[in-house]
Amino acid sequence: MDELIYTLKQQIIEALNLEDMKPEDIDENASLFGEGLGLDSIDALELIVMMEKNYGIKLQDPTQGKEIFRSVAVMADFIAKNRKK
Amino acid sequence: MIRHQVYISPNEVKVDGKALTIKSCGSAMLTDLYREHVGDYPKFFKMDTLSKVGFIASELLLNAEGDRSFDPREDRAVIFFNRNASLQDDTAYQATIQDPENFFPSPAIFVYTLPNIVTGEIAIRNKYFGETSFMVIDSFDEKIIMRNLENAFQDPITKSIIGGWVDCSDEEHFEANIFLMEK
Repeated sequence: MDELIYTLKQQIIEALNLEDMKPEDIDENASLFGEGLGLDSIDALELIVMMEKNYGIKLQDPTQGKEIFRSVAVMADFIAKNRKK
Repeated sequence: MIRHQVYISPNEVKVDGKALTIKSCGSAMLTDLYREHVGDYPKFFKMDTLSKVGFIASELLLNAEGDRSFDPREDRAVIFFNRNASLQDDTAYQATIQDPENFFPSPAIFVYTLPNIVTGEIAIRNKYFGETSFMVIDSFDEKIIMRNLENAFQDPITKSIIGGWVDCSDEEHFEANIFLMEK
C-alpha cells in the first residue's frame, strides 16, 4: 500500500501541475480539497480521468468522488480494491 | 491616455519601454517572471500559455501602476485581442480525444479552450467586475484595437482598461503588448 500511495502522490502532482511539490510534501491523510492541498472542482474532474486512465476505474457516479477523494490514503484504498489494471 | 505599457516576447520583456533583465527564454522565462514578480498565486502553474502570458503581463503592468489593493471594483475593464484565439489548447484538447482507444478528455485543458479565459483569470485575480472581452483579429492592428478600447469607455462605468494584444501559437512562441489606459 505504501508503494501505491507514493505512486499516487506522483501521479496527482503530475496530473494537477502542482509545481514545487514533492510526494513527501503531501500528507496522505490530509484533505485533498479545501484546507489540505486546496484543489478545486476542475482538479476533481482531472482526478476522475487520471483514475480511469491509470487504473481502469470508471466512476459511474461523479458524486462518489467526494468520498473517494477525501485524502490520498482513502483514494489509494479505493484504487487497491477496484483497480482493473 | 496610456499610463503604463508592457511588452513580452519569448526573449524580451519591457515595462514602460525599459527592458527587464531576464535569465531565460520562452516558457521558462514566464515561470522565472512569476517567481520574481508575483510568487503568491500558485494557480499560475495550472494556466495555459495564453493565460500565463496575459497574467504575467498584467502583473507587471499593475506592479508599475502600484498601490495594489485588490479591492473589488467595476470601473476597470480587461479587453484583449489576438490572432490565434486558443488554438494551442484546442489542439492539445483534440489530442486527448483523437484516439478512440485512448480517449481521456482532459477537463484541465478543456477549460482553456476559449481565448477569453485569460481576461477572466486577470479579473478574478484582481477582483475586477467590469467588462471583460477578447476579440480575434487578423493581425496586430493598432487602429482596430484603439477604436474598440475607446468604444468601451462609452459606458458610464468604465474608467480604465487593461487592453492590448496577447497571442500565443505554442508554449514557446507568444507575444503580449498590453497597456493600462485611462479615460
